[in-house]
Order: sequence, then C-alpha cells, then structure tokens
Amino acid sequence: MTVHIILFGQLTDITGVDKITVENCLDSDSMVKSLQNTYPALIQSTFVIAVDKKIISSNTLLTDQCTVALLPPFSGG
Amino acid sequence: MIEKKIKNIFITGPVTADFIGKSIQNHSSKKDIGGHSIFLGQVRADKIDGQEVAAIEYTCYEEMANEKMHEIREAIFAKYDLTCMHVYHSLGKVATGEISLFVFTSSKHRKAAINACEELVENIKSSLPIWGKELFTNESYQWKENK
Repeated sequence: MTVHIILFGQLTDITGVDKITVENCLDSDSMVKSLQNTYPALIQSTFVIAVDKKIISSNTLLTDQCTVALLPPFSGG
Repeated sequence: MIEKKIKNIFITGPVTADFIGKSIQNHSSKKDIGGHSIFLGQVRADKIDGQEVAAIEYTCYEEMANEKMHEIREAIFAKYDLTCMHVYHSLGKVATGEISLFVFTSSKHRKAAINACEELVENIKSSLPIWGKELFTNESYQWKENK
C-alpha cells in the first residue's frame, strides 16, 4: 500500500523535501509517528492533516494511493 | 442543477492596480449592481528583531485551496444577495506595498456587498491552505503568522 505525503510551509524546512512516499502505513496516527521518528523536530510542530484534501480531526484509516497533506497554520492574505 | 466549475483564484506575483481597475470596469455593463465592496490586502514592512520585511513569498496547496474556496463561495452566495464575487490571491513573491489579496463583491444594495466581503476575507485567512514566508532585507526569513 502506497501513501503519498505532501508537506507545506515551515514543515518543509524540517524535512528538506515537500513530498514523501511511504509504504504499509495503515492509519494517520501511525504515519505521523513514523514521520516523527525520521524527523524529530516535527514533534514540536503545529499542523493539521488532510487526507485527500479533507481535514481530519481523529485517527483515519489510509487507503492505497491516498494523499496525506501536513498543513501548518495558514497565513494567506 | 448545473455544477459550477471550480475557479482558480491564484495569480503569480502581485495583484496590480491595472488588474483591479479593469475588474471594476468589467462591471459597468451590469446595471443591476448598486454597490461594490473591495478588500485589498497589502504586504506590510513589519520590523521583527531589527529586521524589516522586504517581501512575502506565498505558496499554497492549490487544489485544496481552490476546492475550499469553491465551498466558501457557494456558502456566501447562499447567505447574501450578491450579484458578483471575485477573489484573487497572489503566489510567489510580493514586495512590501504591493497587493496580495483582492476580494470584490457586488450587490443591488450596499449592505450585502459589504458584509459578504468582510466574511469572505475572514474565511480566506482562516480556511485556505496558503502560507506566507516573510523575506527580510538581509535575506533571512520567517514563516508568517496570521493575527
């Protein structure tokens, strides 16, 4: 199962990339945990998660080829 | 019901006075309009720890932002008696003093246009996945926070 992770804003300063592909990631919580293991600075970061462009508020099952976006606080305008 | 097409609100670089002027001019043929309300967001030269902002570089999650804007647009049209609504947001670098957000509402009578415009601006700032990177004159930067 392949999950596409995309990152924005200050989060890309931590990861150095704006796209990460992960395999075998069942749900959003475990995906975040595994990202935080790779990039410990993400533990202190504020962000919301959107799965296929919809913001989620609790742990969500991921599906093959879905896109998970990590969105730091918005600052448009 | 005809499904409305999702519009792209993003333009590269600043929103120019020429563009804004032409947008106003485009409405002269719509004779049922009695009032326009316009909000222009301008990049401010904030001073932070002795450093001055020279520009803001905007990035976004474009697909999600346009979809979310479509939802906001539909909700505002349902709530207010508007004739027209236009929203443009910059991407890329916008220097201080330049315009990065242009919100334009029109209605028969002023109150619908004014109230819809204000509500749109608040929604755009709180709900659209857009990020501003404040670039300082000494080439350092920080990520903007909306207040």
